[in-house]
Amino acid sequence: MRFKKLSLEQKNRYYGLYFILPWFAGFLFLFIVPLLSSFRYSLSNLQVTNDGFSLDFIGLSNYREALLSHESYVRILTESVVDIAVNTPLIIIFSLFFAVLLNQRFRGRVLARAIFFLPVILASGIISSIENGDLMQSVVRSANDTTGGGLSIMKNLELTVMLVESGLNITFVEYLTGAVSRIYEIVSQSGVQILIFLAGLQSISPSLYEAAKIEGSTGYEAFWKITFPMISPLILTNLVYTIIDSFISDETSRLVVDTAFKSFDFGLSAAMAWMYFAVIALVLWITTSIVSRKVFYQD
Amino acid sequence: MKLAIRVKRKVNRSWQVDSMLFLLLAAFGSFMAVPLIYVINNAFKPLDELFIFPPTLFVRNATLENFADLFQVMKNSWVPFSRYIFNTVFITAAGTAGHILLASAAAYPLAKHKFRGHKVLFTVIVLSLMFSPHVTAIPNYMIMSALGWMDSYQAVIIPAFAYPLGLYLMKQFMEQIPDALLEAAKIDGASEYRIFWQVVMPLVKPAWLTLLILMMQMLWGTDGGSFIYSEQLKTMHYAMGQIIQGGIARAGVGAAVAVIMMTVPIVTFVLSQSNVIQTMASSGMKD
Repeated sequence: MRFKKLSLEQKNRYYGLYFILPWFAGFLFLFIVPLLSSFRYSLSNLQVTNDGFSLDFIGLSNYREALLSHESYVRILTESVVDIAVNTPLIIIFSLFFAVLLNQRFRGRVLARAIFFLPVILASGIISSIENGDLMQSVVRSANDTTGGGLSIMKNLELTVMLVESGLNITFVEYLTGAVSRIYEIVSQSGVQILIFLAGLQSISPSLYEAAKIEGSTGYEAFWKITFPMISPLILTNLVYTIIDSFISDETSRLVVDTAFKSFDFGLSAAMAWMYFAVIALVLWITTSIVSRKVFYQD
Repeated sequence: MKLAIRVKRKVNRSWQVDSMLFLLLAAFGSFMAVPLIYVINNAFKPLDELFIFPPTLFVRNATLENFADLFQVMKNSWVPFSRYIFNTVFITAAGTAGHILLASAAAYPLAKHKFRGHKVLFTVIVLSLMFSPHVTAIPNYMIMSALGWMDSYQAVIIPAFAYPLGLYLMKQFMEQIPDALLEAAKIDGASEYRIFWQVVMPLVKPAWLTLLILMMQMLWGTDGGSFIYSEQLKTMHYAMGQIIQGGIARAGVGAAVAVIMMTVPIVTFVLSQSNVIQTMASSGMKD
């Protein structure tokens, strides 16, 4: 009987909770709980014993160790942040541009889309199954590694050797090849973003363009007055995705994993991961709070 | 006359710009296609050609030897090879379907029903996106072990359901659906269920097709991690990994494996992308 007294708005709230519950249950047990115990590890000294492990609370000394006495943590962390700051805007602009192109009607566009999604497919699964370290495998890896990319065959073997042999300064050559590899990095990290933008472009009503066309707008105007505002929520989405994606798969993450599973210093690794997390959260908070002011929602 | 030409040029893009864009697309496209071409060509190279240094992009004496070898190895596996294939297909299908279902169901109220606490919940989701899977690896293992799910399909499938990325994506897309459409459905007497299935889901079809590609691609490459021990529950990815462990003698087989493992994600991608049609999110609007 109490249910009847609820206002429509209150009912809506309960409906919301009801829809969200199955996902939330899984999220709570499989994500939040592990997260909290990871935080506990970061504040403790984790010792593996005969029957599992023991935790001694040691306060912030893991954090202190990572920041003050670890030989490379601070350097790698700074490099990661700088990388993201440079790459993210490029990735967003590049992927929006290509999504708009790939959304045009032309013959073979599905194939073209598939090609731009390739790096994502190549980067996971298959490659990790092949990177197990003999000659053939390292050749294949050098061909598809996401960071090195497909042109790394040319980049690493031919271009570098050729340039060095032609008598150029080594630092200059390294800078040059570095720039080339960054272009590839950007292209190959844009696969998912292009896909998300494409989905967004497809949900823009064609009648908007039709109306604009009748009013005599140019393609340029149509882009800035229709496509751009309509897609702007997804620019925010992609921004968040790009930042997170690059943070997850970079040097710092590798360092965190190595600390845990190669040096078996679980506490230190957890502390590194949490500080890393704090930095990402800060970066994300700054960028989203700037961008979300400009985002347009059609209501 | 002059005016007419100017109007025409405004409406249609000029062919110069079109061909320039096409060239750009083609240039970048071929740039991206190089690894694919390389991997495919590798699969058809005889053993001696695989080790040419510097590596060649195109095969010279194409052979099917590598595939024949691969099938030979498959035949000799301890568990019938079809079992590995079934495991991977089952995990991928169940994980992807469950994830899309739960993530969309959860995204709908987050985007369109501003219930109490939705902001906090959404912040938690975005925050959780930021953790790499490694952070939760150990605790995750312990939870699976406590639940008694070790060495079972659900240890791989159920965590995929709760992956926050899908929820985030779906929520962003659903937010763009005009409220007026949902109100209209409600006034016509549709239940929340019906609104969800017949209004919201068809409108965000491009979004969940995208999600389908992403999840499918992720789960296809799963090797069971630290959760699966029994040979008959292991995935194809793992079995293929074992096959190419054979070292240099298996280099050709490895190249064939790469092509086979790559085919399914690419085919899914092409199929789902060619199914995407323009949805008309706001075409029913008259205001």
